[in-house]
Amino acid sequence: MRISLKVTGAQGQGVNSIGEMCAKGLKRAGYCVFGYKEYMSLIKGGHSSYQLDVASEAIESSETTVDMLVCFNHHGLERNALEVKSCGIILHQTPQWKYTKEQQKVLEDRGIRTVYLPSEDILKKLKAKPILGNVLVTSVVWALLGRKAEELKELVQEQFGHKGEKVVAMNFQCIEEGFAFLGEESGKWKVESGLRLPKSDPSWKDHLLITGSEAMGLGLIHAGCRLYCGYPMTPSSPLLSYIAGMQNKTGMIIKQAEDEITAAQMMSGAMHMGTRAATGTSGGGFDLMTETLSLDAIIENPSVFILAQRPGPATGLPTWTAQGDLLLAVGSSHGEFARCVISVADAQDCYDLMPEAFNIAEKYQTPVIVMTDKQIAEALFTQKPYDQKKAKLDRGNLVTDPKALKKLKSTDRYDPNAKDGISPRWLPGSLAATYCAQGDEHNGDGSVDESAKNAVEQIEKRMKKMKAMERETPEPVLTVMSNEKLAVSNEEPALDLLVVSWGSNKGVIMDALKVAGSGLRVGYLHYTYLWPMKTERLSKLMKKSKKTVLVECNYGGQLGMLIQMAGGPTIKEKILKYDGRPFFVDELQKLLIANS
Amino acid sequence: MSIPLDSGTAKKMSAFHCANQCTWCDGCGDYGIWTAVKRALSESDIPPHGVLLCYDVGCHGNTSDKILGYRFHGLHGRVIPFAAGAKLANPRLPVMAFGGDGASFSEGVGHLVHGIRSNYPITFVLHNNGNYGLTTGQASSLTQQGQPMNSSPNGIPEHTLNSMDFVFSLEPTFVARAWSGDIDMMTKVLKAAIGHRGFAFVDILQACPTYNHFATHSYLMEKCYDVNAEGHTPDDFSKARALALDTSKRIACGVLFQREDMPSFYERLEPRKDCKTTAVEEVQIVDTAEWEHEFM
Repeated sequence: MRISLKVTGAQGQGVNSIGEMCAKGLKRAGYCVFGYKEYMSLIKGGHSSYQLDVASEAIESSETTVDMLVCFNHHGLERNALEVKSCGIILHQTPQWKYTKEQQKVLEDRGIRTVYLPSEDILKKLKAKPILGNVLVTSVVWALLGRKAEELKELVQEQFGHKGEKVVAMNFQCIEEGFAFLGEESGKWKVESGLRLPKSDPSWKDHLLITGSEAMGLGLIHAGCRLYCGYPMTPSSPLLSYIAGMQNKTGMIIKQAEDEITAAQMMSGAMHMGTRAATGTSGGGFDLMTETLSLDAIIENPSVFILAQRPGPATGLPTWTAQGDLLLAVGSSHGEFARCVISVADAQDCYDLMPEAFNIAEKYQTPVIVMTDKQIAEALFTQKPYDQKKAKLDRGNLVTDPKALKKLKSTDRYDPNAKDGISPRWLPGSLAATYCAQGDEHNGDGSVDESAKNAVEQIEKRMKKMKAMERETPEPVLTVMSNEKLAVSNEEPALDLLVVSWGSNKGVIMDALKVAGSGLRVGYLHYTYLWPMKTERLSKLMKKSKKTVLVECNYGGQLGMLIQMAGGPTIKEKILKYDGRPFFVDELQKLLIANS
Repeated sequence: MSIPLDSGTAKKMSAFHCANQCTWCDGCGDYGIWTAVKRALSESDIPPHGVLLCYDVGCHGNTSDKILGYRFHGLHGRVIPFAAGAKLANPRLPVMAFGGDGASFSEGVGHLVHGIRSNYPITFVLHNNGNYGLTTGQASSLTQQGQPMNSSPNGIPEHTLNSMDFVFSLEPTFVARAWSGDIDMMTKVLKAAIGHRGFAFVDILQACPTYNHFATHSYLMEKCYDVNAEGHTPDDFSKARALALDTSKRIACGVLFQREDMPSFYERLEPRKDCKTTAVEEVQIVDTAEWEHEFM
């Protein structure tokens, strides 16, 4: 069982702060919370929303409809009122609001109760600043959810305690006033309203409430990344903000570059020197970085590029989500070379795949592109504290031992006969024979060599790394719904429906499968490693599945195209979405049922 | 003028000797710059393994495999941010970046602006031959207006960029100029640049006998003079700027301006203050548990 609530308003009105405060309170009360933000590309005004889906079991998706709608202004009443479910509640702050006749009828039919909160009057009465409206509204929401004022006070104390007793006292007064406001009415609506929080599960209390960007930042820190360079671009900016905010604690070198080319070059220079460095951007910025990516390939420089997708082309829908850059990641940059493309799916991946990305980059001495999207970057996940012992540092064929360094010859650096094309790498400053990290085609020591023989040797050397990567890349992971539970399967069972997807769709697909429960044997095959592309397992599964459907947030079905490109099977059935919104759980469920 | 290849430090200079043969045109200024770089490094007691030399793309970039040392030969116009990133990762290692006037004042002009502004602790050597040599003689933004060039038979319509005025407008902390025939002068300014605290901009006016028929070797030899020998001290910004700009009669060479009181970009990084290790040495799996509390 799950419920959802949505806060709407103009940007800058406090939508996010109410969403975050409620999320924190609910998690601490023992719920899994999934937060989803919608907003426009502007600072003030517009129409934005923060939706929280709440459950006692794990969820990572949103519903199209909500149990409670909180509106800061009339736009929410106009646009979002009909998203409220039967017996739901609308809490608003617009005096003398009148719905249209059509709206009024629907709301009545659904038994939806509208509550007007005269927040301005209440604040005036309390002589409180307008900013305190956030706490006031939150307290009413909190009371509507049947929670206690003390829980909210605890949060406020924690958040504003440092601002002094006066501020805290004023906040407390607002909370009390919010509860008092509902006091007279609460009995009545409690009976009428269908809004009930599910049974809580205390195991959620010690979880983290974290966005994908924050998780990725922590993951980078965990991976031993010591320099991060970026240029602001949604949805990669929150990662830059988080990791920059952490610099005084982590000692990391953070550089907001003058452009994405600089960001990519600085990351590459730092990696070449021998630290771990990363850069992040979105599609447009990534386009600018691609020449550098190609350079990293030929100089065999480990490099990590984070590509946070949003809908294009061009500026497109800057604050919305998409998965339209998969083929860009795989096909970007001139020339043929080995690269690895992986994608995170949630806050767990955002952390775990960071050390993994660096390990792959250093092992194969080649660029790694880590894909994410606006949905993951800005969604709020309820996340188990991270395992600190899982990741291992693998720096590949990096020579640092002084004796081994002395034995190196310049020509070892790009030795075409190296096993799997992975030749020894050593760092500038090492007491050893020197070499040139050469952007022109070169021979062993990095001297320019335009001979046909050398060109073949070196191209083959670098492409051997692709073969090795192919060999070592894990197959996609299959999760099967059995006995009403989702479980990872290492077999290839016969299925009624096989769902294939990648990236942020994972959470919503899992949630959709959970609630499906229609007696069908359903499985979900999730691709984390997208290039090199593995298709063997998919082929086996497809042969045994009655139906296979591809789910993606793009127009072309790019994962399907990539699978075909790699000689894999064709997935004919596709559920594609390209309106800038992620899949919602109820929406996807209907589509899957229609396709099964 | 003969180029004095034997500078008296030949023993140490030979450590930078590379077996690959030079491929520049007869009389190219790169021979002189190449020699002066080797000499400046050896006279600064920097061994080949103790430096990272970063080359842009252009004729000068062909130095990348004609000299020993840790070298990098990158993309056109992008050498400064690569060199800066490398330097920030390991500030103990001297890092030099080399780029032509095409790379630095057209393709990658933004990087030059922010390189100077950021005061990265690196040396930047401008191979200023007033044209795109490697792509067979197109006009750069430093080519004289009206000068017919490959792809601009009537001369370029744009006016010539006043490179020194531009550089001084960015409040640099080190500006020097030399010309490609004067190895002693180049060695002197390169050594000063290598020892500089922040971003050192070294403009080397370079002969390009194949395509640059306006600022030739003999033209430069005639006009260039040692401004420090005439008593100029590099501590006066306005005077240095005026000297750098006025090339009508003579061209002032030497260290034109230097201030050492400005911290470099790295020194300004709050998280790196009192930090005894470099980012290169700090790579390890880091426990993040303590930073997860704020999300509880």
